[in-house]
Amino acid sequence: MSGSNAQPNQPEPTEEQDPLLEAEAASHSQYPQKFVLHEWVREKLAWLGRLTRRQIRFFLIMLGSCWGVIFESFRAHSWRRTVRYEFAATMRSVIGGGLIATMFAGTLTGVAAVSQTIYWLGLAGMAKMTGTILIDVVIREIAPILVGILLLGRNGMLSVTELGLLTTGGEIRSMQAQGLDPFLLLVMPRTLAFTVGGFTLGILFSFAALVTGYVISRMSGVVTNPVWTFLYDVITAMSHADYLIIPLKFITVGFVVGLGGCLTGLTATGEDNLRTLLPRGFSRGMLIVMAVSVLFSLDL
Amino acid sequence: MDTRTTGPLLELNKAVPSFEESGLPPVPFSMKLMPGDCMVVESRSSSRATMFADLCCGLVPLDDGAVKFMGLDWAALHDREINALRGRIGRITRRPSWPEFLNTHLAITLQQLHHTTRPLDEIVAEAARLSEAFGLPGLPVLRPSLLSDFDLLRAGCVRAFLGHPRLLLLEDPLEASPVELQNPFLSAITEARDKGAGVIWLVRNNAIWQGYRQGITSMWRLADDGLVEIRTA
Repeated sequence: MSGSNAQPNQPEPTEEQDPLLEAEAASHSQYPQKFVLHEWVREKLAWLGRLTRRQIRFFLIMLGSCWGVIFESFRAHSWRRTVRYEFAATMRSVIGGGLIATMFAGTLTGVAAVSQTIYWLGLAGMAKMTGTILIDVVIREIAPILVGILLLGRNGMLSVTELGLLTTGGEIRSMQAQGLDPFLLLVMPRTLAFTVGGFTLGILFSFAALVTGYVISRMSGVVTNPVWTFLYDVITAMSHADYLIIPLKFITVGFVVGLGGCLTGLTATGEDNLRTLLPRGFSRGMLIVMAVSVLFSLDL
Repeated sequence: MDTRTTGPLLELNKAVPSFEESGLPPVPFSMKLMPGDCMVVESRSSSRATMFADLCCGLVPLDDGAVKFMGLDWAALHDREINALRGRIGRITRRPSWPEFLNTHLAITLQQLHHTTRPLDEIVAEAARLSEAFGLPGLPVLRPSLLSDFDLLRAGCVRAFLGHPRLLLLEDPLEASPVELQNPFLSAITEARDKGAGVIWLVRNNAIWQGYRQGITSMWRLADDGLVEIRTA
């Protein structure tokens, strides 16, 4: 132990140190801030909320907008002639433009999946299960995903690009200045047109797949029944829930693909361009289609 | 929504625009525009002029004060009411305003088709008449990107004056425009004022509006210290 009175923990002030700042720092170290539990909890909750909101911002926007589209679509006042025009134009584009691609995809699915299913089930002596397998696999699982991807690729990405460029270019703000609400004028009619389109194309896809599968099987001699008997077998294999779930799945896929495309475009910022918008729109769209498919497959 | 038919058409009452949202100086803006008035606002910066027009439309959030149009405070209205009121404003803007997914004739008539129940034929007839007045061969039906800049300027004038708007916010279309546009533009302003519309004409320099000097009711300058009235000789 040294016997000196010097305090080694307190360095001597030098000319370069500001005495005022030093004194302030010393006072802070001497009197630490009082710990208040509820303030601490509030800060942590705010941090958690910010993090959660940032991570699931788009999901929350989607949820709110889903309700907005449904709510507005039931109000007669929302269906002004400009909104009706946009609805009709989008529906023409979705159904008219996607018809050939959907029928072609359905035909390929019929060749690749339906005829093979019929063939292998017949070979295994399980021909009676053909209808059930086709309904459960092709119509309930494959058709909504493929139709969703076709909708996304043909029209969903178009909406992302169109609305994204309008947002970043300033046209959306000009529309607002004219009293034209982009949600009412663009998002609602386009989403509903996608919904109708999803259902229509889904049914046509399923029909094309089944008929093509039957034709291939008939040509190869695997099936000898007439087409009506084959379709009857398929229909009788459907449960009561299938009559609800299959159309609902097509409708939901169309709805969320349309809404997701519009919202991805409308939420674009000034820093966005096609390089950032298109991959974002595509990945979101794919996630949405897969999520809907999985959601409907859960315990149903 | 009860609009006021007497008193000021547009009233800025110590309105302090949000600087973060608009870039306008965060100082109180005060002025009144009566029906039939024509106010010239000089601004060197076109983006600032656009933001001032946005402020008048209720598109810029305020830190303080109020902006009233037809006696209604923008901040106190719901979305539907705000949109309905904005449907009564005709605007020529320098901001891109021609969506490419609509043909020009639809983009011109969109505001009227959306906010009114006027018959389509009547709107188209009025748009065609205005198009010819502004020097177009008729109502343009091509995509906006296929029109020349001058034709888009003319189409912008048609859109702004279509449907007898109550307020006109005109970001100077006469600057760098063909000379033959001046007379129809000034005639359209006079006609709109005769029907009770108020006009805010945003210009970059004094030379532009000298031809209409007798019709100007007040002259203002938009600068760093806000909106300042200038005494005219």
